[in-house]
Amino acid sequence: MSLLEAQGIVAGYGAAEQILKGAGLRVEPGEIVTIIGPNGAGKSTLLKVVAGLVPMAEGRLVLDGRDVSSADAIGRARAGLAFMPQERNVFGAMTVAENLDVSGFLEPKAAKARAEAIYARYPVLAAKRRALARTLSGGQRQILGLAMALMTEPKILLLDEPSAGLSPKAADELFAAIVDLNRSGLAVLMVEQHALEALAISTRGYLLVAGRNAAEGRGPDLAEDPEIRRLFLGGA
Amino acid sequence: MMSAFAQAVLNGIMNGALLAVPAVGFTMIFAVLRYPNFAIAAYISTGALAGWVANTWLGVGALPALVVAFAAAGLVGVAVEEAALARLRPSGALTVAIASIAANLVVENMLRFGFGNDLRGYDLPLRPDFRIAGLRIGPQAVETFLLAAVVMAVLFLFLRFARLGRAMRAVADNPDLARLKGISPRRVAMVAVFLGAGLAGGGGVLLGLDTAIDPLTGYRVLLSVFAAAVLGGLGSIPGAVVGALSIGLAEEVAMLAIPATYRSAIGFAAILLILTFRPRGLLGERAV
Ligand SMILES: Nc1ncnc2c1ncn2[C@@H]1O[C@H](COP(=O)(O)OP(=O)(O)OP(=O)(O)O)[C@@H](O)[C@H]1O
Ligand SMILES: [Mg+2]
Repeated sequence: MSLLEAQGIVAGYGAAEQILKGAGLRVEPGEIVTIIGPNGAGKSTLLKVVAGLVPMAEGRLVLDGRDVSSADAIGRARAGLAFMPQERNVFGAMTVAENLDVSGFLEPKAAKARAEAIYARYPVLAAKRRALARTLSGGQRQILGLAMALMTEPKILLLDEPSAGLSPKAADELFAAIVDLNRSGLAVLMVEQHALEALAISTRGYLLVAGRNAAEGRGPDLAEDPEIRRLFLGGA
Repeated sequence: MMSAFAQAVLNGIMNGALLAVPAVGFTMIFAVLRYPNFAIAAYISTGALAGWVANTWLGVGALPALVVAFAAAGLVGVAVEEAALARLRPSGALTVAIASIAANLVVENMLRFGFGNDLRGYDLPLRPDFRIAGLRIGPQAVETFLLAAVVMAVLFLFLRFARLGRAMRAVADNPDLARLKGISPRRVAMVAVFLGAGLAGGGGVLLGLDTAIDPLTGYRVLLSVFAAAVLGGLGSIPGAVVGALSIGLAEEVAMLAIPATYRSAIGFAAILLILTFRPRGLLGERAV
């Protein structure tokens, strides 16, 4: 049984034309799945729909055997889904410690121990406990966003362009952190602009174009696909 | 002359502390719900009168009267929000702001219907002023100042350390991200309205300890309260405190030079100046 299964998702913003026109995907336990696609394809929208931030007009969403199509974002968080958005993914006016604490809102009793485990895992956050999140560097902020998503001990982690705006070194570190989390059993569904690097560490990948699935395959296979290499390496 | 100035500064600080309580209430509602709630004037009056009832009918002192006023104004605020304002929020901040002016008139007139237009005073022991270094200080003013300081301190501790207080700051910062963490912006909004209106009501009691009150008490200070919040940066709670102290000081010091009838010009001038030169306010994070 799939951990996450989204079928026939149709969604958009208000009265305008639908952005997603029947997209779908699945994530098996223990997988890293990457969604790639051109700008404006609807990748972020798809993650927002799955997380419950954007309502879907049509489609079905099953999480760990439960139909969560009609659950809101809070219900889906409770059901084991965590999402790190592409932008504004930390509470800028709060300290690192407060960001972690408030991210453990659903299980306040466990929050302290989880935050300590996170500090042990990411010493850079431990050193910045009292710093306001908006004063962190790009790389630190992405790590904080990731750590905040872990505060609910999710079954599946959704990441929207976690490496955006990072230096190559910081991006590598972040990918290493993601692989590391995945090794400890966490399923990951991410959108990445650094498509080839992301596919290289992914079990499987989807190509999304204009709100529809355009291709699907094993991560390394997609990374070798000439068509995809042309799309993402500009003709190389 | 020097001592008149020092006296004005002292009075200004007292005046500012008194304005800070409702100004923080106003800015708190703005921070979480993103609209200026002008019905805060009626909540101030509600609190002033509820505190008066507790004080003169039940014979309780200033602190219990403050608690009663907080609860009464908070509940009225939540009722107005539920009955009228909440459903208008999808239409935008301007719509809700205008509706809040209408709600203000409704609540104000209900108060006039219930209490009449007479000025009322709290039943307080008369204590002579004392003098320190040539400055005249009323014991009641000191008590009022301390009450305002305690209310502020409790609020700051709540926002910094309480689970709900932190959730409230999270929603003010980023409602979508808060939802992803399992925090309901809707519920937090209700808590913010209760606390914001409650603070306004508490401010009403502080006004009542200082001067006579009536159903228009809140309306008379609305401009100063609004100016304090704008000056500090709408949505910034420390900003509202700084703004209130500045407005309070400016109002008292200006009285040395201009007639008392122009007192409200200070608030206007402050709003115009800040919007012209620093629209985010003194401590505001984001542009309004
Ligand atoms: N909040 C919004 N309101 C209205 N339209 C939106 C909103 N967010 C995105 N869109 C539109 O939806 C379309 C898809 O946007 P989306 O962010 O999902 O694309 P994306 O594939 O993530 O692109 P990118 O690679 O640039 O992040 C775009 O045309 C965008 O303009
Ligand atoms: Mg995107």
